[in-house]
Amino acid sequence: MKKIEAIIQPHKLEEVKEALKGIGIDGMTITEVRGHGRQKGHKEIYRGMEYQVDLLPKIKLELVIPAARLEETLATITKAARTGKIGDGKIFVFDVADAIRIRNDDRGPAAL
Amino acid sequence: MLTELAARSRQVDELARKVFETSLRNFPVAVAAVGGYGRSELFPYSDIDLLILTPQLDVPKPQREAIAGFLQILWDAGLRVSQSVRTVEDCLTLHDNNIELNTSLLDHRFLSGDAELYGKFASKQPDFLKTRGTTLARRIAELARGRHNKFQATIYHLEPDLKDAPGGLRDVHVVRWLSRLQGGGDDQEVTPAMNLLSQLRLGLHQWAKRDSNILGFEAQDVLAADRFSTPEDLMREFYRQARVVFRVAVEKVELAEGRENGLISQFRSWRSRLSTSEFTVSRERVLARSPQLLESDTGLVLRLFEFIGRHGLQLASDTERRLMLFSAVDLDIRWPHIESLLVLPKAASALRAMNETHVLKKLIPEWASVECLVVRDFFHRYTVDEHTIVAIELLESLRDHRFQNLLEETGRTELLRAALLFHDIGKGASKDLDEDHEVRSVAIAKRILERWRMEDHDRDAILFLVGQHLVLSNAMTKRDLGDPATARELAGRVGTIENLRLLTLMTYADISAVAPGTMTPWRLEQLWRTFLVVQEELTRDLEEQRIHAPASRGVAEAQFLEGLPTRYLRTHNEAQVQAHVKLAQAAAGSGSAISLERVHGIWQAVAIAKDRPFLFAPLAGAIASFGMNIVKAEAFSNSAGLAVDTFAFEDPHRTLELNPEEVTRMRKTLTSVASGNEDVRKLLAGRRRAVGKKSRVGARVLLKNDAVPSATLLEIVAEDRPGLLHELASAISRAGCDIEVVLIDTQAHRALDVFYLKYGEGKLPELLHDALREELMVICSEA
Repeated sequence: MKKIEAIIQPHKLEEVKEALKGIGIDGMTITEVRGHGRQKGHKEIYRGMEYQVDLLPKIKLELVIPAARLEETLATITKAARTGKIGDGKIFVFDVADAIRIRNDDRGPAAL
Repeated sequence: MLTELAARSRQVDELARKVFETSLRNFPVAVAAVGGYGRSELFPYSDIDLLILTPQLDVPKPQREAIAGFLQILWDAGLRVSQSVRTVEDCLTLHDNNIELNTSLLDHRFLSGDAELYGKFASKQPDFLKTRGTTLARRIAELARGRHNKFQATIYHLEPDLKDAPGGLRDVHVVRWLSRLQGGGDDQEVTPAMNLLSQLRLGLHQWAKRDSNILGFEAQDVLAADRFSTPEDLMREFYRQARVVFRVAVEKVELAEGRENGLISQFRSWRSRLSTSEFTVSRERVLARSPQLLESDTGLVLRLFEFIGRHGLQLASDTERRLMLFSAVDLDIRWPHIESLLVLPKAASALRAMNETHVLKKLIPEWASVECLVVRDFFHRYTVDEHTIVAIELLESLRDHRFQNLLEETGRTELLRAALLFHDIGKGASKDLDEDHEVRSVAIAKRILERWRMEDHDRDAILFLVGQHLVLSNAMTKRDLGDPATARELAGRVGTIENLRLLTLMTYADISAVAPGTMTPWRLEQLWRTFLVVQEELTRDLEEQRIHAPASRGVAEAQFLEGLPTRYLRTHNEAQVQAHVKLAQAAAGSGSAISLERVHGIWQAVAIAKDRPFLFAPLAGAIASFGMNIVKAEAFSNSAGLAVDTFAFEDPHRTLELNPEEVTRMRKTLTSVASGNEDVRKLLAGRRRAVGKKSRVGARVLLKNDAVPSATLLEIVAEDRPGLLHELASAISRAGCDIEVVLIDTQAHRALDVFYLKYGEGKLPELLHDALREELMVICSEA
């Protein structure tokens, strides 16, 4: 099993969710996060006052999938989340040791 | 009280007595029913509170085992027993860490055992309450406050907790306990509410088959089937009753708190000095001196709510009861009546009091459809009316300084509040039509505002806000804010920076009032980014978006409009456009034309003249030379090189109003200044100018060459003072710049000025920015 953590632009959430649904992946956890990568924030000016905006609003998507579906899932996310501009986000992939469904003790991929 | 609850208590009594006989008969103990069970109000899945009185603290082993056996049998019989083994002394001690024990002992009933022991406790309790009652009452009040705060101190939850929420059964108990402790208070007022709440809780326990007290949506459907035609009716009745309970409970709680707190009582007696010839204030609550008039005198009722809106007070019970009876046959409400409420600092308090006494729906019949309305939704926590009032309230306590600044800059809070008042009013309308609620809200608000004979311009502003109130919140999560197309489209919908400010604040309030914690820092940041993106686009707009070949216009109009920024048409109504066209025709002959008139207490001067350097600055100076204070100004020019300069100014000494000849003189002066025949420096020479005083507002001057395509953007924030605009504009002209576009706004003594500057045919070279900035900063920092 693999865990995918994808940091994406907020407005891309619906598209990514739809795309994942399209390949049969429904379960995910979504968090509103703030952060920056190489883009390092920027300066905003309002009423002559400069605001340093270090942390930009992003969406974090977490999902755990059977290892065999990894590449397909990654391709789906990148395709849906890409605008081609700086700030599109990043995806991280982790190995998952086990999964347990609390309701009935299902283990491993059966719990996904 | 419900017979079911009493019957169930009797059953348990019987069982407990029987079990006592078999297990505890030979020991010197007494068993009493306390808490809800003591009151014979036993709900099916509630705990059964038992007091086991023993003669001494140190219970001998055989007796301890017998008590354990007694409880074991009751547990095995399926009862959830919650017992407390105490001595009489123990029961007559205040337990600071366990006030719940003291309160549960307030309701007690003998069940079995040593009647003498029980009698000792029962006979001594009144004396104990006499000496420690005030402290106990204060602790009960403290707990009640803490509990209320957990529920944001409102009864209007979509899925309320029947027991613990404000206005719930626990508050009924608080009322009863405090009435007893405060001596002879009457608690009959909450009886009908208690019956309803008990019935609902009983039904809920029977349906859920456990000790569940949350009246969720599903439970509302099930319970409504018995006695109500719809779940909405059930909930309306719930809120109606809970409101009574909550009001009485808070009164009792305040009384209990007030007895010992010197500081609060000092503050309260200070507040009681607010009393007027019509109203008195006592303990933060308003009473009318002629209460019976509240039933019929619309003027008095409106003045009462204004009084509340000014000072943030609450209604006394008697006042509230009178207001509930209010009915005015000749009710002829106009916008000024409502406006005078909405401009007040605590307008939300006034609206809340109006809503709770049903006066709001009597003044605005359309409001009835959202009063106590439950709209089931995953995110919303409150009823529609409560959400609306919370939204208005949140604007009164804005914390984020960026949004605070926006609010100060808008100036028209009454329009914003009116728009919030109506933004969800369509949620109560028939849902048969396949429309979004904001469309229905606009239709309803339009009818109301027309009935109030509101002026077109303000009415349109409110309707715009109501109709677009979801645009920014949708954009901030669903649109790519980095895409110029998003900014362009939003700017097109919003129209002007003034609208954008109002809409941003409205979005802030609307999201924040959904439930506590909905406005996360994440959302706040997204909303601010959305504001900035659209604001930048609208600023750019002034330069780029020009009127071209306006459709369905006469030749003269089309000529005049050609090349003016599109903002011009968004901020002027048809009558103003026509007046300007006439002025332009007059200016064609003489080179310049001036109009000067007073609109809603503010003077407005419009100058139309052949555009040239040093036009705007001398006009501003000439107005200042009459002692006038410019609060708004705009300057644009059209393709034919005709400048349209408009100024709105205040007349602090009422010079123009009191001396009609001064109006003529001013018109003449402005005309000759506009045609270049008068040196404004001479006019200003006579005016005294304070020098050396430091400005209190930190001045900021920003020059930017990359903000707009073909001009330099200059933004100035400074403390406003007479003559400031003239000095700034003169400095700009002296630096060799042509002023292309001007937008001047003044709010709360802050001048917010935006200029587009041309230097020859291009932008002001960056090399020259520092010099101009320094000169402007010197002007701004003088007060």
